[in-house]
Amino acid sequence: MEPAAPPELRHLPLSPAVLAILLALAEEEKHGYAIMKEAALPAGGGITLGPGTLYGSLDRLIRDALVEETGFTDDARRRYYRLTQLGHRVLAAETSRLAATLRTARTRTAVREARA
Amino acid sequence: MNSPNAFLFALYRQALRLYPARLRVRYQNQILQTLCDAHAEARRPLLFWPSLFLDLLQSSVKEHLLMTRDRAVRRPILFHALTLGLVLTLMGGAAAVTMQQMLRRGANHPQIEMGRRYAHAIAAGARPQDLFPAERIDLRGSLEPFAIFYSESGDPIASTASLDSAVPVPPSGIFDYARKYQLDMVTWQPQPGVRMAAVLRHVSGPNPGFVLTGRSLLLVEEQEDLLRRGTFITWFVLMGLLALGALFLSRAESHRPLSA
Repeated sequence: MEPAAPPELRHLPLSPAVLAILLALAEEEKHGYAIMKEAALPAGGGITLGPGTLYGSLDRLIRDALVEETGFTDDARRRYYRLTQLGHRVLAAETSRLAATLRTARTRTAVREARA
Repeated sequence: MNSPNAFLFALYRQALRLYPARLRVRYQNQILQTLCDAHAEARRPLLFWPSLFLDLLQSSVKEHLLMTRDRAVRRPILFHALTLGLVLTLMGGAAAVTMQQMLRRGANHPQIEMGRRYAHAIAAGARPQDLFPAERIDLRGSLEPFAIFYSESGDPIASTASLDSAVPVPPSGIFDYARKYQLDMVTWQPQPGVRMAAVLRHVSGPNPGFVLTGRSLLLVEEQEDLLRRGTFITWFVLMGLLALGALFLSRAESHRPLSA
């Protein structure tokens, strides 16, 4: 019998919006607008997230236990979010997956250029 | 700090109702705060509101679709029952409409042949007054087919039927259509409660004009009514059985032992 796949693999591949949100929360907890700003940066994925998309995605990430509310708030309307352990593992797994894809793409591009 | 336009802000707040209630209740305040934060730092104010409303529309549709999918996953029996109900309704509806159309088109049949015969004879030189039987039927009560010949200008010349002692005349648009396409098949209601399947044929030759042949739709409409009632009762019973079945299966599912 095959061993069960690690739970983080069930969430892959991530959509660009979800990857950008997890990436924004990878280092520290953030509130909604801070996540939006981070996601819009080229290094954060360059994704323009509207508030509706952001909170819909956050809601599903909380339901899937990848993100949680910190309970900390500096304003009744500004709540902070952070990655859970599973969220960190999913982000790491997605990063590895993308890195492997990138390596393959670079190798194949290099072979093609060498042949040309 | 520049604050968002009060009208657009209020509009956006109202538009948040497009989201599923659970999501709106939980995140409304945060969404509005994020909007204020984003507005304060917006680099392209002209694009700010359109992109915001576009995002709202797209994400609200997405959230509703995802919510429906989640519900279907959580309650597959209900979802399958609803899908089956929808399919049965569509199929039953299509079958009923088809049968109704067949009944209605069938109501034209004796008149088409009758009209063709009269039109050929008149085009060959016969006078309509000589062709049509002298006795007249009353359109209000008779189920018999009848024929009326109208001149090119739409005046009745000869008729085998009358309504309240006069020969009824259809609207001029029907003559125009038949003049252009030679033939028109319509449901004609010269008076409330008197409906007929009428076929109007344009005739050329020495006695140009129009031959209208028709018959009462009373029987056909009774059959249509019967069909409608039968379809509705069948649909109602089927939906009831489907609901009972879904309820029974849902209860059986929820009471199934975990080890089974």
